[in-house]
Amino acid sequence: MRRVAARVLGPGALSFPTWGYALFFFVVPVALVLFYSFGYKPDEFTTVATDRLSLDRYGEVFTGSVLSTLLATLRISIVGTLLCLLISVPFTYWLAVKVPPERRGLLLMLVMVPFWTNFLVRTLGWQIMLSPDGFLSDWGQALGLLGGPLDILYTRTAVQIGVVYNYLPLMILPLFVGMDTAGRHLREASYDLGAGRFSTFFRVTMPLAMPGMISGCMLVFIPLTGDYVTANVLGGASGTMIGQIIANQFNTAQNWALGSAMAVSLILVTLAVAAAAGLLLWAGRQVFDRAVRVRIDTSAAAVTEGARS
Amino acid sequence: MSSTGAPQKMRGRKRTSLRNGLFSAWGALVFLFLFAPIAVIVVYSFNSGRVLASWDGFGFGAYVSAVNSSVIVSSVVTSLQAAVGAALLSTLLGTLGGIALARARRGAWWAGGLMGLLALTLITPEIVDGIAFLPWFVTLGVDAGLGPFNNGLVRLIVAHAMFSVAVVTFIIRARMAGVDSSLEEAAADLSAGRFEAFRTVTLPIAGPGILAGALMSFTLSLDNTILSSFVQQPGYTPWPVYIFASVRVALRPEVAAMSTIMLLLTLIALAVVALVLKRSGDSATGIVKTMAGS
Repeated sequence: MRRVAARVLGPGALSFPTWGYALFFFVVPVALVLFYSFGYKPDEFTTVATDRLSLDRYGEVFTGSVLSTLLATLRISIVGTLLCLLISVPFTYWLAVKVPPERRGLLLMLVMVPFWTNFLVRTLGWQIMLSPDGFLSDWGQALGLLGGPLDILYTRTAVQIGVVYNYLPLMILPLFVGMDTAGRHLREASYDLGAGRFSTFFRVTMPLAMPGMISGCMLVFIPLTGDYVTANVLGGASGTMIGQIIANQFNTAQNWALGSAMAVSLILVTLAVAAAAGLLLWAGRQVFDRAVRVRIDTSAAAVTEGARS
Repeated sequence: MSSTGAPQKMRGRKRTSLRNGLFSAWGALVFLFLFAPIAVIVVYSFNSGRVLASWDGFGFGAYVSAVNSSVIVSSVVTSLQAAVGAALLSTLLGTLGGIALARARRGAWWAGGLMGLLALTLITPEIVDGIAFLPWFVTLGVDAGLGPFNNGLVRLIVAHAMFSVAVVTFIIRARMAGVDSSLEEAAADLSAGRFEAFRTVTLPIAGPGILAGALMSFTLSLDNTILSSFVQQPGYTPWPVYIFASVRVALRPEVAAMSTIMLLLTLIALAVVALVLKRSGDSATGIVKTMAGS
């Protein structure tokens, strides 16, 4: 029996449990959410009805306060991703290139520690640090750096700091792997061939680190748009991010139709931003490649060719 | 030539060391940033006051009352049970999927489809999974009468495993990608049975990846707040959801104390896994690559 299956399906048979699990516990429930998003909330006690399907819930999402929260979420996510990238590029370059190899392992393990510490607990650490009667505030006032108590907890700035902090390891790890692939030998070859530091960095290290950079940005940006834990702990109860409003639709307002429409819109907008960024990157790369292309002078080549013969 | 070359070289060396110094300073700053809140939590776990954020005095009172609080202990136990269950389930599914994907012929429909599907689970925001699971579990458990889906622990395990199956699969696939399946065929030719060949050849090669994947999904499950807060049932509140609920009321130092204990346990687990991977011959960089799944 197994041999027949193996002949028909080859190694594919091994993957069927995984397939089944993903279909039954991911595709079906997410499809249900998509279906609910076309429904409506008929009365106070029913969460969703789907006997009349319409796009009205999407109309509700893309107007007024929900839309402005969605845009605010996007802003926090984009700024957060860029900040993570800005922090990580010099850091991972230092880690992969400057740090002596025998110490690199230990430092890498240290980078992993926050990654393995509870997300919520780390955020609580920031809540303590940023609170107006916390120690940072006291020290700042004692040193005369602050005129009054620190006033950023429960603001957008606090949420921004929190998300950059929480998602930074997700950027550092793939970017390090990318920087590391470039390797010492390739860089030395580049120096030997007369390239300076900057052109080695931009023409050897960076292009090779690009896949790591892209996957880092995806790993940061996508969960960031759906995050509401950080926003709840550091931004207070007022909805700063769309995730909070979606959760409210399911936990308190009991309006599954509207909540589903918000969730589907979130995915669509996230994918649209990612696609736009990809397009921008591709275009930038074309321009950059054209600018740094090494020109081989054909007439000079012809002359050498002629001299040889 | 040498009279002008030496100072220039000196200046160049000075510039290089300045640049290296700047890089090191940046590295130190980033580490400070990464560890500051963790250090704060550890320090404040010794706060003897009643409110976590306002420092009162040094004491071990929070540890004593955390360990004696039945609510805190039972939520941690729930979390650990769910994490073990999710790690087992997702490691089993991920190992099968990863080995299958690593052996797939180019362009096989099931391989491309599975890769795409798993990538989709990775890029779906967690909150979408959360709101998708809530009605689905109600449908399965209440409407279809499948009893297990009304159990809080089963719900947590199923949801968390869904979240980490993709991670485990990709780790194992990366681990097995370079391995020739003819190794296993050779074992089969040498009169080991099919299952025997799988057990004695394939599994040991995949071993470090399986371990890294299991640890990864264990931690992801332990960490999970958003999914859990949607699927949790009364009596099965996991630890992060307990903290999240108490953020709104008032945080007490017990939360920091229990978090410090769990941090220590995680670090020990991490060190053990790193040691095992090192034994199996991976370099430090290779270990991190295995753990990060790339």
